[in-house]
Amino acid sequence: MPANQEARGVVGDYKAGWHDPEDSTIRFDFGLSEEVVREISTLKDEPKWMTDLRVKAYHHFMDRPMPTWGNTPMLGEIDFDNICYFLRSSKATEKDWDDVPDAIRNTFDKLGIPEAEQKWLSGVTAQYESEAVYHSIRGDLEKQGVIFLDMDSGLREHPDIVRKWFCSVVPLTDNKFAALNTAVWSGGSFIYVPKGVHVEMPVQAYFRINAKNMGQFERTLIIADEGSSIHYVEGCTAPTYSTDSLHSAVVELIALPGSHIRYSTVQNWSANVYNLVTKRGIAHENAKIEWVDGNIGSKLTMKYPSVILKGEGSHAEVISVAYSGEGQHQDAGAKIHHLASNTTSKILSKSISKNGGRGSYRGLVKVSPKADNCKLNVVCDALILDEQSRSDTYPTMEVANPTARCEHEASVSKVSDDQLFYLMSRGHSEEEALAMIVNGFFEPFTRELPMEYAVELNQLMALEMEGSIG
Amino acid sequence: MESASEYLTFAEPDKSNHLWRYTPWRRVHPTGDVFGIPELESADVSLVGLDGGPAPEGIRLEKGLTSELGLPEADPVTGSFLRAVSSNSQWTLRVDPGFSSDHPVILDIVSGEFASVLHLALEIGRLAELELVTRVRGTGEWFGLLRTGVIREGCSINDVVVGLMGNGTLLRVDSISIGRDAQVRAGTVSSGSIRTKADLRYRMGEPGGDLRVLGSVLSTGSMHLDHHVEIHHEAPETFSRLSWHSACDGKSRTVGTGMLRVANGSTGADASQLFHNLLLSSDAEADSIPELEVLEHEVVGCGHGTANGPIDEDQLFYLEARGFDPPEARSALIAAFLNATLSEMGGDSLHDWLVRLLADELHNLGA
Repeated sequence: MPANQEARGVVGDYKAGWHDPEDSTIRFDFGLSEEVVREISTLKDEPKWMTDLRVKAYHHFMDRPMPTWGNTPMLGEIDFDNICYFLRSSKATEKDWDDVPDAIRNTFDKLGIPEAEQKWLSGVTAQYESEAVYHSIRGDLEKQGVIFLDMDSGLREHPDIVRKWFCSVVPLTDNKFAALNTAVWSGGSFIYVPKGVHVEMPVQAYFRINAKNMGQFERTLIIADEGSSIHYVEGCTAPTYSTDSLHSAVVELIALPGSHIRYSTVQNWSANVYNLVTKRGIAHENAKIEWVDGNIGSKLTMKYPSVILKGEGSHAEVISVAYSGEGQHQDAGAKIHHLASNTTSKILSKSISKNGGRGSYRGLVKVSPKADNCKLNVVCDALILDEQSRSDTYPTMEVANPTARCEHEASVSKVSDDQLFYLMSRGHSEEEALAMIVNGFFEPFTRELPMEYAVELNQLMALEMEGSIG
Repeated sequence: MESASEYLTFAEPDKSNHLWRYTPWRRVHPTGDVFGIPELESADVSLVGLDGGPAPEGIRLEKGLTSELGLPEADPVTGSFLRAVSSNSQWTLRVDPGFSSDHPVILDIVSGEFASVLHLALEIGRLAELELVTRVRGTGEWFGLLRTGVIREGCSINDVVVGLMGNGTLLRVDSISIGRDAQVRAGTVSSGSIRTKADLRYRMGEPGGDLRVLGSVLSTGSMHLDHHVEIHHEAPETFSRLSWHSACDGKSRTVGTGMLRVANGSTGADASQLFHNLLLSSDAEADSIPELEVLEHEVVGCGHGTANGPIDEDQLFYLEARGFDPPEARSALIAAFLNATLSEMGGDSLHDWLVRLLADELHNLGA
């Protein structure tokens, strides 16, 4: 089967844009109020401290103005009163796909999640609307003490761990959308990896929005104890509607001394989803945090995965790619704070803009006065494929230690005529040649993904490049 | 709208705007009362040859302003403020079309005793060839310099602004339009004033413009030197390079922010910017924000880069092994670092003059 045709079967031309008939068990009315926040907490039977935290966050969200930077016209179009803040579509989080309601199971079948679980994953959480509908983890990992739960179960079953770390990396006052998430969070993943345990195969969470005007606010907390390692993979899709949905997640990573967390995302939201996400990790001594971040879909993405290098010898890497098509603005980037000595970081950002899309890299690298001998490197490359599109880079470097060695470079260009000519002179059509160049451009990102994801991403990009010529 | 009325319509800019992130307007306003428009003194201004002789024929200073059509937009707050406070201190530097001279000219500006201001309009006639040094000195507490102007088609201009103020604050706003096929080297040498806020904007609105913006910044003590440079490519086949070298010692801080904006239709644009920072003490800080906005895909290339680091220990060792004592070796390496951009700012005689100036400043500041 030709690659493009095969790709259509997986993700389509946005082929993940179908929607199931809505069959919710609980659906809140549109709009946000303190009552809604309290009701979510009551439904989940949460401890008082969490309810209080939610209410506090709600008031902060209401008081805090919208950001005055970024794509303010697009942000201004979000109608917070026309969003459903909680929708429960399954009575329970199942451990067997057969127990998941048929329509929902079919959706995840089409997305290939059960198949991937059998072949190459250590565990899976599948979230549909506000809550997880399926969750499993391999038995051997469970025996080693690995906790992998949806966040609601995590709070119920491990309240002390959650209370210790929740909001410790992303405080509720961090930004307006982190406050919103803290107020109305539902679902997401909770992971604890015990000391010295290495989770060899990735665990995956898949987030699916099905309903119209839906808000999805998952909260993910990953704690890797000393000397452990884990690779977490997440994917996201939604149906295509004429009205907008909002995805506003918060992810907190805690990498304790000597541990390693890799967090990979391939975000392929439909073009009516606002994707406003706060992702941040803290790396302790000699720990390593990697964000591997692909942004393909959504209407507006504002996402800047961050790492606070708190412990000496810790390391951070952010590898991100973004594709901006018609009507899309991918405002993505990275933030690294070097707080400790001998810390190192690397940011590689690649973006492609096409059909009037806009890709922006926005980043911050900060070296504190007490962080000696830090090394950091930032590279941003952008391709603009037509005259309607644009690319921006807004990097910031704040260096307050004279022993730091910091490098940043960025380039914006079009696809090289020489490269096109070279490939076409060897028998490829112009469209194929372009797709190959684009895949090559993204290769530093795709090689960091599990192979199945890399293949899917390459197919997806080949599909996006269709019709680019002429 | 009159400039004063226009200024009063603006709210105080906040830190979400990169221009004001590191140096709030309140800190560089002459009184700190940002909703007031104070009366300021005029600065003394004169035109002489670099060798101390008179300026050549064909270049002159005239009281008052001429038209400012076609200028890039300055920041509305500082632009309107400086226009409002400089209404009694306006000069035009007029250079005749076809003017050519091998001898650099100094436009000498001496700030007033307290707070003073000058609005200088550059009116550079077509095909003029000129090396101009604008030297700002004085011991005033505050000086505002607004430079607006047009460098017309086919000119070849080396335009260097040297900031040598004492302990005061310098607010500098440039808004320069570059004509067809004009070649401009716009240099900034900054080592004076305890606080500097500079907002330098260039518009390349006609094809073939060639612009090199060069910075050589030395900060010591508790200086805070903030330079923002915007280059707007708005025509085909325009070329720009921004190269900025800052050396920071003591408890000083330098900020370099750049914006390269390539408008739709600027086919064949070639633009890049580089910020290099040399940190000389544990209390110094250097911040760089090189921004790019590219709305045209048929470009030769657009890029930016920054690099921060300390003095190279190997280079120090090399010099010390050849007889330099450690302070001399350090000073020589700082001078070499700053000379990388200084050497691009003009011809031999201008460069020699700038190198002597730099040596004096390094000596005076004990860097």
